[in-house]
Amino acid sequence: MITITPKRKFDVPIQAACINVDVFTGKTLNEIKKLAITEGKENLTLDDAFDLTEDKTLETPNITLTGDFSKVKRIGQGMKTGEIIINGNVGMHTGEKLAGGKIVINGNSDGWTGSEMKKGLIEIHGDAGDYTASPFRGNSAGMKGGLITVDGNVGSNVGCYLQGGTIKIKGSAGRFLGHHMSDGTIYVEKNCASRAGTFMTGGKIIINGTVELLMPTFTIDSIKPKVKVDATQNAQGPFYVFLGDIAERGTGKIFALKTTNPELATYEKYL
Amino acid sequence: MAEIFKSVVCPICGCLCDDLEATVENNEIVKMKNGCAVCEAKMVHGYKSDERILEPYIRKDGKLVPVSMDEAICKAAQILTDAKYPLLFGWTSSVSETQHVGVELAEELGGALDNCCSVCHGPSVMAIQEIGIPTATLGQIRHRADLIVYWACDPWSSHPRHVERYTAFTDGRFEKSEFKEYVQKLKAKASQKKVDAAIRRTQVRYQPSQPPKAAIVEAPPQSLAKAGRKMIVFDVRKTMTAEVADYFVQVEPNTDYEIFGALRCLVNDQELDIDKVGGVPVEYLKEIVDAMVNADFGAIFFGLGLTQSVGRFRNIEIAIAMTRDLNRKTKFVIAPMRGHFNVTGANTVFAWQTGYPFALDFSQGYPQYNPGEFTANDLLRRGDNDATLVISADPGAHFPKSSIQNMMKHPLITINPDWNAISRLGDVVFPTQWCGIEQAGTAYRMDSIPVTLKKIVEAPKGILADEEIVRRILEKVRDIKAQKNEKDIQGQQQILERKM
Repeated sequence: MITITPKRKFDVPIQAACINVDVFTGKTLNEIKKLAITEGKENLTLDDAFDLTEDKTLETPNITLTGDFSKVKRIGQGMKTGEIIINGNVGMHTGEKLAGGKIVINGNSDGWTGSEMKKGLIEIHGDAGDYTASPFRGNSAGMKGGLITVDGNVGSNVGCYLQGGTIKIKGSAGRFLGHHMSDGTIYVEKNCASRAGTFMTGGKIIINGTVELLMPTFTIDSIKPKVKVDATQNAQGPFYVFLGDIAERGTGKIFALKTTNPELATYEKYL
Repeated sequence: MAEIFKSVVCPICGCLCDDLEATVENNEIVKMKNGCAVCEAKMVHGYKSDERILEPYIRKDGKLVPVSMDEAICKAAQILTDAKYPLLFGWTSSVSETQHVGVELAEELGGALDNCCSVCHGPSVMAIQEIGIPTATLGQIRHRADLIVYWACDPWSSHPRHVERYTAFTDGRFEKSEFKEYVQKLKAKASQKKVDAAIRRTQVRYQPSQPPKAAIVEAPPQSLAKAGRKMIVFDVRKTMTAEVADYFVQVEPNTDYEIFGALRCLVNDQELDIDKVGGVPVEYLKEIVDAMVNADFGAIFFGLGLTQSVGRFRNIEIAIAMTRDLNRKTKFVIAPMRGHFNVTGANTVFAWQTGYPFALDFSQGYPQYNPGEFTANDLLRRGDNDATLVISADPGAHFPKSSIQNMMKHPLITINPDWNAISRLGDVVFPTQWCGIEQAGTAYRMDSIPVTLKKIVEAPKGILADEEIVRRILEKVRDIKAQKNEKDIQGQQQILERKM
């Protein structure tokens, strides 16, 4: 196991895509210390900005980061195997294009965490920023598989262009949740802001709290007693089931809990 | 001896009106013909104000001290080279030639590069990247459009000649001007207002004042079905443009997205499960959709009310999606109402230089793009950069307090013609010429048509064009970097020699 701690407080952002189990594997500590990172425009090595220690007795987790990493971007980018634990807040693009392995964040994560990920697991034991699990600007292929769990709240535009996989949010979600999603599942345990599921053509969004405002482009389908989140979890209803986005001729589903959404009762007359 | 300049281009808003006539006496503009009030304010009075910066300044012991141009350029280049991550912001009120050098400077410095569009129509650019855009030049709209929709913008105040030159009040080849009708309507409205006021004044002594009525959307008028040009305005308040429109729809703030969604369903002949969207009854929306589908050539113009309200670029995305849906039934185009005269130019120049229109980062040696990560406001709010250069913009007056507080923690270089809020805060302050008045160059109109700006008067002595200032800073930066490299090589050689 390799432990990394910052040597100082960072002012300008650091790009450290090399903090990645695949890159570290097969290298000695001295070789790892020489890996290139950038701080603003300055080219540095990992050793210039961080203290690295190796503990040969422990196998997993492969990398432990302790301290404030909120200005460090692209940790675990494109990782295929192994485990990274981050004890503290972390910067943007963490676990971007993740293709396997596990990243645990004991703090808050910033934008584009788990962006375009294909496989693997990201656990966020704090709040997650905007664009979590959403692809890069202009890309219409989002997260394809894997699981992201968030203990706190998430920002806006989470799970855009979702094509598979599951996102579980224990707190509340911001606007444009699951925008343009075509498959996969998003489960929100608390409330959800307006404009959820806009442009969606498939997949499901399950909201266990209040829905701020449902888009007019959704039409009521039925009332279901319960819904399956994934292989391990079911959500207890009853749920209003809305189909949409009808402007896109989509067949995505929004499940909104009946007991917490009395204002949606007006839709019942169309059943 | 008065000299008259014809076909002068106005360097103020995105309309870039090119039919102005300037009368110049003793190297001063004394009269502008054909211009709007905003044009006259800047071209006749504004550019020769007492607030003009006449020499370069450097802040020493907290006070701005006048210095020579060479000293200021050395200082600016030194600040920028010493910084790990400088931010270069502004560019939209300078000519495209300056923007071109700016990209070179940002690449040399490895910093972040952003233009004012990140706080105006950047969301429009992002939406276009997401979904594309069916658009047209203003000339095409002028000659053909018979339904004009202004959504969340007020051209009567912000682009005063837009309606007159490009849309409802102009005589096109295929569509006639509706100006006379509007004048009659305005006269009738004015007399109605007089009558209302007279009645109110007679009653005020006897009746307590009424509480203001809540905004109620009126039913669409018969005139929406007429032949010829029609104008619909969607806004949160009754603006000057709404006064001259055929139909004004007052929407609830931050509900444009829902209204677009409902309109899309109606255009696609689908039923809605609700009766009212954003305060507008669905049956009114149906009539609006009928008018849109029955138009021969429709044009939607949208403003900052969409790009800077809740939803940002998603609002534009759905507006473009609606235009796309309408194009299955008739011809419809959509265009942003760009603000500064060369903000479209900044996007165009940055895009052909680097591939991306704004929110750029060169720290990795190649251009990276990500609004939200590299946009000026987000960088400043997080305190990511450690030096700032502001050119032809005034974030001091328009950015949030937290951004400016973070900006002031680090050195600030400004290049502006007059003492605006940001110039007063600068550590190195450059004077510059007014583009389009004292300096010629290229600017892009809001529909991405390049127009050449003219030089009408001579700038005060010693004041350089912003292109030359940026170029000289760039040359100095290259000198400093070359010297640094030489020193590094010498140092390494000495170490090697000692080892030998």
